[in-house]
Amino acid sequence: MMVRAIIRVEDLRKSYQELEIIKGISLTVREQEVVVIIGPSGTGKSTLLRCINLLTRPDSGRIWLKEQEITAPYTDEDKVRQRIGMVFQDFNLFNHLTALQNVTIGLNKVLRMDIREARQKGLWELERVDLADKAASYPAQLSGGQKQRVAIARALALNPDVMLFDEPTSALDPELIGEVLGVMQKLAREGMTMLVVTHEMGFAREVSDRIVFMENGVILEEGPSRQMFYAPKFPRTREFLGKISELYGENRPGEI
Amino acid sequence: MEFLKDLIFLINYLLQGTGVTLGVTLIALSMGFLFGTLLAVMRVYGSKPVARFAAVYSTLIRAVPVVVLIFILFFVIAKIVDLSPFLSGALALGFASAAYQSEVFRGAILSIPAGQMLAARAIGMSRLKAIRYIILPQAIRLAIPPWSNEAAIVLKDSSLVFVIGVPEILRRAQYVSARTLEPFIAFGAAAAIYFALTFLANRSLDFFERRYRILM
Amino acid sequence: MKRRSSILILFIIATLLIAGCQQQAAAPEQGYLGTIKEKGTLVVGTSADYPPYESVDPTGSFVGFDIDLITEIGKRMGVEVEVKDMAFDALIAAVQEKKVDVVIAAMQASPEREEKVDFSIPYHFQKDAFIVAGDSTLALNSPMDAAGHSIGVQTGTIQEKWVLDNLVPKGTSENQIFRYERVDQGALDVAAGRVEILFINADPAQKMADDLGLKVALVTSETVIGGQSIALPEGETALKAELDKYINELENEGFIQQLQEKWGIP
Repeated sequence: MMVRAIIRVEDLRKSYQELEIIKGISLTVREQEVVVIIGPSGTGKSTLLRCINLLTRPDSGRIWLKEQEITAPYTDEDKVRQRIGMVFQDFNLFNHLTALQNVTIGLNKVLRMDIREARQKGLWELERVDLADKAASYPAQLSGGQKQRVAIARALALNPDVMLFDEPTSALDPELIGEVLGVMQKLAREGMTMLVVTHEMGFAREVSDRIVFMENGVILEEGPSRQMFYAPKFPRTREFLGKISELYGENRPGEI
Repeated sequence: MEFLKDLIFLINYLLQGTGVTLGVTLIALSMGFLFGTLLAVMRVYGSKPVARFAAVYSTLIRAVPVVVLIFILFFVIAKIVDLSPFLSGALALGFASAAYQSEVFRGAILSIPAGQMLAARAIGMSRLKAIRYIILPQAIRLAIPPWSNEAAIVLKDSSLVFVIGVPEILRRAQYVSARTLEPFIAFGAAAAIYFALTFLANRSLDFFERRYRILM
Repeated sequence: MKRRSSILILFIIATLLIAGCQQQAAAPEQGYLGTIKEKGTLVVGTSADYPPYESVDPTGSFVGFDIDLITEIGKRMGVEVEVKDMAFDALIAAVQEKKVDVVIAAMQASPEREEKVDFSIPYHFQKDAFIVAGDSTLALNSPMDAAGHSIGVQTGTIQEKWVLDNLVPKGTSENQIFRYERVDQGALDVAAGRVEILFINADPAQKMADDLGLKVALVTSETVIGGQSIALPEGETALKAELDKYINELENEGFIQQLQEKWGIP
């Protein structure tokens, strides 16, 4: 059975000045697949995500979103980004808009949906992340976990083909991490295609289909999560997994 | 009693210039707002030559006394386009205010976290839409306190339009002072009117600031 | 105050240089006079803060010696007179740029102004006055006695130029010269003891001195170069001839004498 690829990356390279951040990465994310990228900080995981939704222009290499090569010249980048949801480490909610408006502004201004319809869809998306009661709250009135869930709803509202998560729980207080991971797990169950950069090993082991271990701008090892956790090929992978599990804790009480 | 009657008469006479003062101020401020916002956006988000143009405009205009701008509009530009003294004066103040307001808005835009732009682009907004719907609404709110300062300055600078014969409050005070040789009373009354206008303007801007304050 | 007006003067010179093109007049033989008659209105520039020549009365109308005179001239020319008030410094540029047709503002025809505009024959000769504080012991027997003393003048006036040309070489330093936008500001400074002498046109001097408890130390014609004239655009000989004709007429009829008495002008 050949499941079709949603994201396909081929020999991607990116440098900032003299420093090469990504040194030739190829990666495929298939439909309904949840792929977790792990690795030490500064190895280009975030840059890889930003290249995939074209917030950063790669120096070379090609990227496909479904059948479309989005690195091709004259690609409408705004159209591409509408189809790729992005969740940031520090939420980046629009501070002057309520939770509901954060979700509807893309529908209204980007997809040109009329206000009433956008509102309905927005409320439904907030319901999905269990925040319908906070629709009228401004970001400053929300906890970190609530902010991140609104950010997820904002991305989901545009019905993206794939969701990218860039360390979505790293800026959260420990007690708030669970609610965000819970939402992500629910999304995964619903069949959303997801590419997640995270240090949450519990989530990686329980939810992901595949784990990609990145170091120094290359993929050192990738494979089904079970294999990566219990029988990694490289000693370096094992060492990193051991360290990270120790640091962040593998199991979080009550969740996952 | 006689004195009181004279004073009421004087204030009433000066108040007739208030329409001109307010008209010049409002035109100059709105024009400065539109043009100043545009310049600020050009400066922060524009390509090199565009940003450079906006920076040069701001530096140049701020270096030139407003009176000279008024003269340029009235004597040079008005040769090409038909401009009344009132409009020449109001537009000159508008061009000047645009330069100052562009600095105010530039500062405000730069203080908006970079993540806001990133997140706007990530949901498929074009740069222009992101600026229009995400960056500017926040920047303008942040800019209200320095902006109210600029509004007070423009209100007072509006007295400069008298040089080309637009009789606003201050020029009327000069008429009275020249006739009565009582400058303290004439200019004191003018000062009181300016104070009242500035006070009202500041209070309403304070209200807007509180009303639209963004919690960060 | 000082700096602003020197920038203004600089700018007026600059506009002169830029202002290359001049509009064509309607009737060629009459030049600009034809244009004025055609539109039926004579637009007169003045700076209405100089009583008794020009000021604004409590009802907001322009009044004064100059205003009465130009109104009568307009009547004889068969046109309406419309007065436009602006800063004295802007008047010459306003004539050059045809923002106004003529200027009547107790203005004397100095060589500098003659380079930019033309002038009618003088309609009035006036004297200059030196005003000092009521208790001043300063003895001014001739204008040159003012050298070395602090002196106030109105910006952009003939008096200011006379001080620069005559007193400065005789020992008055630049920071002893106080320039005012309006003469009454100077009079107040003399009363307050900030300036020793105020050097202005003689006409408003006595009233001003009486009002503020000052004294007129010297009235002289030695400092006066020319009389007051009406300024008009350069090269408009037909307009100049028309203005000159009516000034002569009014002088001969005794009308100007009557106006002087009406406004208390010596």
